[in-house]
Amino acid sequence: MAILVNKDTKVLVQGITGTQASFHVRKSLDYGTNIVAGVTPGKGGTEHLGIPVFDSVQEAMAETGANASVMFVPARSVKNATTEATEAGLELIVCIANGVPIQDMMEIRSILKGSNTTFIGPNTPGIITPGEARLGIFPENIHRKGRVGVVSRSSTLTYEAVLEINRAKMGQSTVIGLGDDMVIGMDFLDAMEKFSTDEETDAIVLIGQLGGAFEEAAARHYKEMDIKKPVIAFVAGNTIPFGHKMGYAGDIISGGKVTAQDKKDIMRHAGMIVVDRISHIHEQLQALLQP
Amino acid sequence: MNIHEYQAKKILTRYGIFIPRGKVAYTPNEAKRAAVHVSLRGPWMLKAQIQSGAREKGYFLDSKSRKGGIRLIKRRRDIVREAEQMLGGTLVTAQTGPKGKFVSRIYVEAFQKVRKKFYAGMVINRVVPALTLLIANLEEGGKDIITKAVEEPKKVLKLKLDFKKGASLRQIELVRRFLELNEPSRKHIAKLISAMHQAFIENDATMIEINPAGVTRRGRIVALDAKMSFDGNAMFRHPEINRLQDDYEEGGRELRAEKSGFQYREFEDGNIGCIVNGDGIAMAAMDFIRTKGLNTCCFLNVKGGVDRDKIAAGIKIIMTNPKVEGILINILGGFLRCNLIAEGIIAAASEVGLNVPLVVRFEGTNKDAAREILINSRLPLIIADTMEESVDKLITAMEESE
Repeated sequence: MAILVNKDTKVLVQGITGTQASFHVRKSLDYGTNIVAGVTPGKGGTEHLGIPVFDSVQEAMAETGANASVMFVPARSVKNATTEATEAGLELIVCIANGVPIQDMMEIRSILKGSNTTFIGPNTPGIITPGEARLGIFPENIHRKGRVGVVSRSSTLTYEAVLEINRAKMGQSTVIGLGDDMVIGMDFLDAMEKFSTDEETDAIVLIGQLGGAFEEAAARHYKEMDIKKPVIAFVAGNTIPFGHKMGYAGDIISGGKVTAQDKKDIMRHAGMIVVDRISHIHEQLQALLQP
Repeated sequence: MNIHEYQAKKILTRYGIFIPRGKVAYTPNEAKRAAVHVSLRGPWMLKAQIQSGAREKGYFLDSKSRKGGIRLIKRRRDIVREAEQMLGGTLVTAQTGPKGKFVSRIYVEAFQKVRKKFYAGMVINRVVPALTLLIANLEEGGKDIITKAVEEPKKVLKLKLDFKKGASLRQIELVRRFLELNEPSRKHIAKLISAMHQAFIENDATMIEINPAGVTRRGRIVALDAKMSFDGNAMFRHPEINRLQDDYEEGGRELRAEKSGFQYREFEDGNIGCIVNGDGIAMAAMDFIRTKGLNTCCFLNVKGGVDRDKIAAGIKIIMTNPKVEGILINILGGFLRCNLIAEGIIAAASEVGLNVPLVVRFEGTNKDAAREILINSRLPLIIADTMEESVDKLITAMEESE
């Protein structure tokens, strides 16, 4: 069934009546996503784009059986919207908003801890299972159904990875953008775990980048996984250090300045196939999966 | 978002952290008056207020003196002369890059004698993620904190704190023993750590660094230097901190881009300007340009921008950068729609003229509409299908236009 979302996923949209939400909800509906409800407080009882709108997540779930949310609410409302969705017991939240305060995300992490809710994002293009469900803002015309899973910290490079898989004459089982904010929900480890037990995924394309030690953690975890599927990894950021530097605290945590090359070495050592150019992804896939 | 040392100290002192007496000065005469105000007999510290670490080991551009951005002054009559050297100068440090930063003000502080120094930092470890306290002893004339962290990571104490509650009593005791602080300092170290935590949470900070903290003869702990960074996304909750942002710290182009909600950066070498809609594609494109023996001199990240006029304003920033000899536009539309970028390109080009090769690559949301807009515009631009192809085509076009 690919991972996390498929054609049976019943999706509700928090903040459905906004302009950007409307644009992308329409595209998701055209894509065939099973969107069953919208939630906008104060607009319950109305319809938007042919979808019934409710005042609360709980009502929407009771009426429609929704089990996943794609969240189009503004950044500063994300904490409240997440609390509501988690308490109502949704299985999956996909948070598109850009600019969620870090402390709000720290609180969201602790709310999620005691729940069964998976949180993707924030600042993510979302998750898509080609031909079945699009939860987010992915360009809908580039994905093809297939057996390669994609997980990426970078939105834009997610699309590049998808195009590379197409170039290899293959398709995607599920594509997940993790988002690259300081504090995020789902990470590489969660995604690799899910892909590794998915019968419809044969290999994983993992896209990392400079900043944080997410790739190192993924590599350590991969080394110890019982069920391993081949991972083709790309890490962006070889040339230029990013961001304004002021203190040392970030470097102290990582034990010095980390380069993309350091990350690649660690990943290679853990048994991942690391490519230096994006356009090598399709070559590696062909070598790996074609008879 | 970063603030200056004197501003950070002012915030920390509200939470009960001791700081030496100090006053900010914009002119040499003000510095003299400030000196008398903070200490009658001295000695004094003069500290350049730029947002960078390693100021002491830095140097001023176009200055005969090799003295750095932090100076110990023993005689009152030297203050004006030393302040003159610093104010209006450009200080280069290991963190500023070779262009350095302009010193518009200095902080005049009473010199505080201490018998011991240590490092205290608080930051979020992204991967866990958890609020983390970092502590290390600093020996006089010994390794600085970052060298220590790399060469002897065990000599840096790293404690994962409860985000809401801060350090536990056990953790505070651990810090005290690690720093070999004696009984009189017990309450002061506890106070320091809880004040750092409180200041971190209440102000939506992303980093607090006290480097160094000093322990006085009587066991009191004093913040000799302080740095604070804040979460820009949370500044709507803190207008009073947002006002502290120093526009001098950003270049003119950076600031203009920021006002449109974009990110703009310049680099030392190179002659290619990149317009992208994400850090990932920016890094990947720059990496690829580098493999071709060229470099990027600036990039503009329009993120998920959906306002056509702002996009045009952003593109103009790149088009009017005199170092740019070729422009690469790589847009992978999701939230952002390619047609808006296309319209922005045309608006910007018709206003400032397009006199360098421009290669555009669109993929994703509304890409066909975007291509059509560009083709109909009759602008002399080149369209490419992949990121790598766009780089190759740009390099060829730049060679031809030479």
